[in-house]
Amino acid sequence: MYKNKPTRLLVLSLGLYLGVSGALPAQEINVNVDATLQPGTYTEEGADTCIKCHDEDDEYPVFDIFKTKHGQKGDKHSPFAGLQCEACHGPGIAGPDAMAEVIEKGGHTGRVRSGQERPPIIAYGPKSHVPVEKQNAMCTNCHRGKTHVNWEGSTHQYSGVACASCHKVHAARDPVLETRTQPPVCYTCHVKQRLEFAKPSAHPVRFGQLGCSDCHQPHGGLGEKLLVRPTLNQTCYTCHADKRGPLLWEHAPVSEDCSLCHNAHGSIHPALLKKRAPLLCQQCHSQNGHPSVANSGSGLPGGTPSALLLGRGCVNCHVQVHGSNHPSGVKLMR
Amino acid sequence: MTPRMEKTNRILRGSSLSNDPKPFSVFAGCLLALQLSGAAAQEADDAKMRAPDISKWQCEYCAFEEGWYTDLTLGIGSVSDDSYKFGEYNGLQEQGAFAIVDGTARYRGDEAAYIDITMSDLGLDSRSLLVEGGRQGSYDLQLSYDEIPHYISDSASTPYLGSGGDSLSLPAGWVAAGGTGSMTALDASLHDVDLETRRKRLGVGLSITTESPWSYKLDLRRDDKQGSKLGGGAIAFSTAQLVEPVDYVTDEIDASVSYTRHGLQAKLAYYVSTFSNANDSLRWENAYTPPPAAPGALEGQLALPPDNEFQQLTLSAAYEIDNRNHLSADLSVGHMKQDEKLMQTTLNPALLVPLPADSADAEVDTTNTRLKFISRPTDRLRFSLAYQYDDRDNQTPQLLYDWVTTDAFVGGQRANLPYSFTRTVVKLEADYDYGAGASLGLGYDTDKHERTFLEAKKTDEDTLWGTIRLRNFGNLFVDLKVAMSQRDVASYDLVAAVDPPQNSLMRKYNMADRDRNSLSVFANYMPDANYSFGLSLDYARDDYDNSSIGLAESTDASVNLDLTSMLSEETTLTVYVGRQTIRSIQNGSEAFATPDWSAQNNDTFELAGFGLTHVLIESGITIGLDLSVSRSVGRVELDTGSPFPDLSTSLQSLKLHADYRFDENLLLRAAYWHEEYDSSDWALEGVDPDTVSNLLATGQQTPSYDNDVVKLSMSFKF
Repeated sequence: MYKNKPTRLLVLSLGLYLGVSGALPAQEINVNVDATLQPGTYTEEGADTCIKCHDEDDEYPVFDIFKTKHGQKGDKHSPFAGLQCEACHGPGIAGPDAMAEVIEKGGHTGRVRSGQERPPIIAYGPKSHVPVEKQNAMCTNCHRGKTHVNWEGSTHQYSGVACASCHKVHAARDPVLETRTQPPVCYTCHVKQRLEFAKPSAHPVRFGQLGCSDCHQPHGGLGEKLLVRPTLNQTCYTCHADKRGPLLWEHAPVSEDCSLCHNAHGSIHPALLKKRAPLLCQQCHSQNGHPSVANSGSGLPGGTPSALLLGRGCVNCHVQVHGSNHPSGVKLMR
Repeated sequence: MTPRMEKTNRILRGSSLSNDPKPFSVFAGCLLALQLSGAAAQEADDAKMRAPDISKWQCEYCAFEEGWYTDLTLGIGSVSDDSYKFGEYNGLQEQGAFAIVDGTARYRGDEAAYIDITMSDLGLDSRSLLVEGGRQGSYDLQLSYDEIPHYISDSASTPYLGSGGDSLSLPAGWVAAGGTGSMTALDASLHDVDLETRRKRLGVGLSITTESPWSYKLDLRRDDKQGSKLGGGAIAFSTAQLVEPVDYVTDEIDASVSYTRHGLQAKLAYYVSTFSNANDSLRWENAYTPPPAAPGALEGQLALPPDNEFQQLTLSAAYEIDNRNHLSADLSVGHMKQDEKLMQTTLNPALLVPLPADSADAEVDTTNTRLKFISRPTDRLRFSLAYQYDDRDNQTPQLLYDWVTTDAFVGGQRANLPYSFTRTVVKLEADYDYGAGASLGLGYDTDKHERTFLEAKKTDEDTLWGTIRLRNFGNLFVDLKVAMSQRDVASYDLVAAVDPPQNSLMRKYNMADRDRNSLSVFANYMPDANYSFGLSLDYARDDYDNSSIGLAESTDASVNLDLTSMLSEETTLTVYVGRQTIRSIQNGSEAFATPDWSAQNNDTFELAGFGLTHVLIESGITIGLDLSVSRSVGRVELDTGSPFPDLSTSLQSLKLHADYRFDENLLLRAAYWHEEYDSSDWALEGVDPDTVSNLLATGQQTPSYDNDVVKLSMSFKF
């Protein structure tokens, strides 16, 4: 049979066709669709199927997604240029483990008898029963690299925080992406920080001038505590470059770690200091003479007013507390 | 492409045609059989993986946007009283009217062209503007402008002329004296001076996304900080609080290129930051009579922060070894440089001593490395190993400097100490998932510090910790962590170059033996979608048992509770309450021997808040109320001498607003804000410019205010 050349050719072509068709996907799909494609059964009409129930009047408002980057059909990286709602929520009819009869009835998008529970679809948020890893895998299908290079293994990822715990994809403006509305999102878990920023001396977070992400990179920072730069000091220097130096006469704790004296979030003492002078300084300075004097309330205006205690205490004279570049600045007074 | 598809592809590519019919027929038969059987399974897989025909997905009901959409809020507000503390960072420091201009605008065009504009507080000194635009998915341009005011003090006064500049002089007719009480011209010379700074930040950014795995980003930022802050200058044994000029410009460049594909992500970033100060120094005239031993000490000059530069190259990479193992690495190398011309050693011509060099030639090399390996050998077990190395290598030349103390006395020779620090951290962690949302974690960290020119060359801290995590456990979310650390210092020796020396019994707390124990608990309970209760407890205690002098003990404890509730469709309620106490004990020795005094610091801060919003659906009115109360108490107690009064602050803030929606596009908002603040600070109270004989103070007072703000605005959507 195969000796016949045309037959040989036919068999070969058939073999090739089956082989190749088996290798090719059903149709040409773009990078983005491929990236988010999940095992399961997709709807026939995409978002138009979903919108039949999830319309503008739905109790779960979803329409504002069209005001966001996710709802941009002209960008092939955007879900709405590809699998639309199913890019993030997975196959609209049923996932890979669904029973045949569920798929037959149309799954999540099919008719449901009153009183019966609708088959689920991938959902996000604190009440979702989809494991956090699965939720996050849907997001990281596209959101990888650049600012997310350090996501895997970072504190939030490792602790099982879902992307949807912080991000509202269906909101016209995601609160966590805007300076003023970002801190309350972080305070949901980082409750202590709300209290710290309310202290009389604090970075202006509660005034809406700084957000948490001005110092921290929640997707995985270069430094400890998810700081944006590799060390705490380098992070502080992005705004306080006047303290960077290096200087001729350095004050060692300043060069080592700003948080030895300051609490970056807030304090009841001026300049975000953990404690005020002179007691703060006397934790490390004990030379014979005025550094080791016990400055009690006797030094207040009602007693013998003392420059070691009143005003700025030690810093009244030792003004250059962050270090000095003056040749005579040995004692940080010049 | 599924693994099965890939395998089929490889089989096809590997096939070869031969003229020998038999092998060919067998081969073709095998191929066909393989394909048919493979195809059947493939088809089953395909049915599950095949992308639908999305060309049929019209998205007719999708609300894609085209054109401009603007939401603009215009209005007027009024502040009842001047107060720097009230307006500290929000621009409402001045009594009177202000314009309300806020808004957002967005443009959506063809082929993903877009512009997004956000404007906030354009009528105030805290204004900001952000414009972003481009072609989504191809390139994005960003322009940002932001102002951050800081109103520091409006109750300071000074006799010096030229405040805000780099040269301070005393008025004609000034009477110098040995102490402030004898400065007869002081009262008449005092004038008010406001201490404030304003930052203006301008940023420009460009990011490019390509079809390839490569993407690019460039950000340029300029931060211009102008104003004045509180400084000071001592001459001999007397000092004056001075107004120090602030005229700083910090420029930053952040350029990066990223490579992203499945399994490997990498990013190379270059960061440059240059700082420049328009003022090199601050000069001032001595308000006091120079001491007899230093008759030429008539003026002083201190060096203001010098121009400096920092450059850093960072490589970050994350690699999926397979689906159970992950490796990530960051490597940063940087260089800090400062080379400003040194000032002369003194303005006192009788004491001028030579300089060993024209500049400090200060340079520091920084290296920061992080490596992390995460593995999940089974579905329940996960462990990670992390290594961190941070090095600050100070290359500044060490020279002997002749110096003059406070322009009054020659100080002898001192060598500068260019401090270097190295830190090495290794962390090992294991987690076990019990299922049903419960997991247990255990970890061990070692943290080694090495320091030069300091008392302890090496310190070594070991930490053992454990965590319990509950996720969606019933309706409970819990994170509990317990940690115990012990830091040991091999040897602690006084630094010979420091003269006079420290008390040999003192231990600086960052280089002292320390036991640290901590507990933190975070719990969130959501019985249903309408209620969420949160509890957060943090406790840490440090004991410095081998520090006779210096910090001996400190504790930090806080508890916070909050409740968020949707009482109904129309009503949302938030309540929070929290308290933090920070306590510490330190010892000192006036006799420069064994401890003879002890001080205790107790700081307490309490915060409570209540927020309510209610929608009156039928009338289209939404009302909101926000009440926040906080207070702090700082107690300093020495076991000798007279007691201190408490340091205290109290803040009560009430915000009310009512929104009336005329229609979808028009909203009227009326808002009222009442805030009261009171504070008490023994370091400032009763400290007039002449209270302390050798401190010419600014007489700043502890701030307090009782302010009202009324706002009326309209929001238009078009």
